[in-house]
Amino acid sequence: MMSARIGLGSATRRVAFAPVIGRNQTVLRTLIPKRGVQIQSLPPSASEEILNAQRLKRPSSPHFTIYQPQLTWLGSIANRVTGGALSALLYGFSLAYLVAPDTFDSAHIVEFVAGLPDYVKYTGKVILAAPFTFHFWNGLRHLSWDMGKFLSLKGAYRAGYAALGATAISTVALVLM
Amino acid sequence: MASSVILRSTLPRTFTSATGRNSLRFALQVRAASSTTQYVPGGPILKGTVNDPTEFPPPSRTHGSYHWAFERLLAASLVPMTAAAFVTSGSSYPVFDGLLGLSLVMHSHIGFDSMVVDYVHKRKFPVLGPILTWTLRSATVGVLVGVYQFNTNDIGLTELIAKVWTA
Repeated sequence: MMSARIGLGSATRRVAFAPVIGRNQTVLRTLIPKRGVQIQSLPPSASEEILNAQRLKRPSSPHFTIYQPQLTWLGSIANRVTGGALSALLYGFSLAYLVAPDTFDSAHIVEFVAGLPDYVKYTGKVILAAPFTFHFWNGLRHLSWDMGKFLSLKGAYRAGYAALGATAISTVALVLM
Repeated sequence: MASSVILRSTLPRTFTSATGRNSLRFALQVRAASSTTQYVPGGPILKGTVNDPTEFPPPSRTHGSYHWAFERLLAASLVPMTAAAFVTSGSSYPVFDGLLGLSLVMHSHIGFDSMVVDYVHKRKFPVLGPILTWTLRSATVGVLVGVYQFNTNDIGLTELIAKVWTA
């Protein structure tokens, strides 16, 4: 207040507020690091590697196990499993016959099966007949879907129960054959 | 030092903004050069950046509608063939037995192939996927030869099943 009145105001203010070190920019830069972050120069192609590294760290969202087991999707995967198992048997036998026709000829196989005890025979028949009949009936269900039939939820369940019932009946019939 | 940094940061910008097409080509070349990422256990590596659209396979009826229709026709034709196999004997109709064997192998091959495509696709398994595809193909050829041998030199598939079932 006083200084302003006697005319010294501007000079003192200039001295007080002017940044002393700031006058020399090079000195300032060497004294105080401008940022705490190191900058690394990367080519544009490096961005994809960084992106892929991030992609690998992403968590997998819950799937498959969070769904309630339902006839709709259980029937579908069972169709694939049973078909795959039967096909594996066909492939296994055919390749075995191709490699060793004297070991896997019909006479030897029939002789081997005939020598098995009855409970093994019946168990084996169930193990073979159940997937076959299920794949057969559920395959018809899939073909009917492809023709545009039973596509509603009710229709899918009806056809599913029908396929299961037919599987049970024809499995028993085949085992008793 | 400082001037060279400024030059380096502004040069590409002026270069690319001069011709838009050049900048596009530049980006494409960079992407093509760096999109050779391989699968690492833990997840699929997608091609390109987040701004790149998904690549679709070229449309082909052989892999699409024709394949689909053939699959269904094959599956449907197995129904009367299975029924016929129950009532007739494979030995008295060897051509029918061979046709049934061939159809079953084709049906199985398509089934296995769709499993490989679904679960071990080469997009996610660049090494294992093609190996399994070609293993399946060679196995199918071997199976076809095996079924042919069995049907010509032995009693045939239908007869074998019938005999084993009542053994």
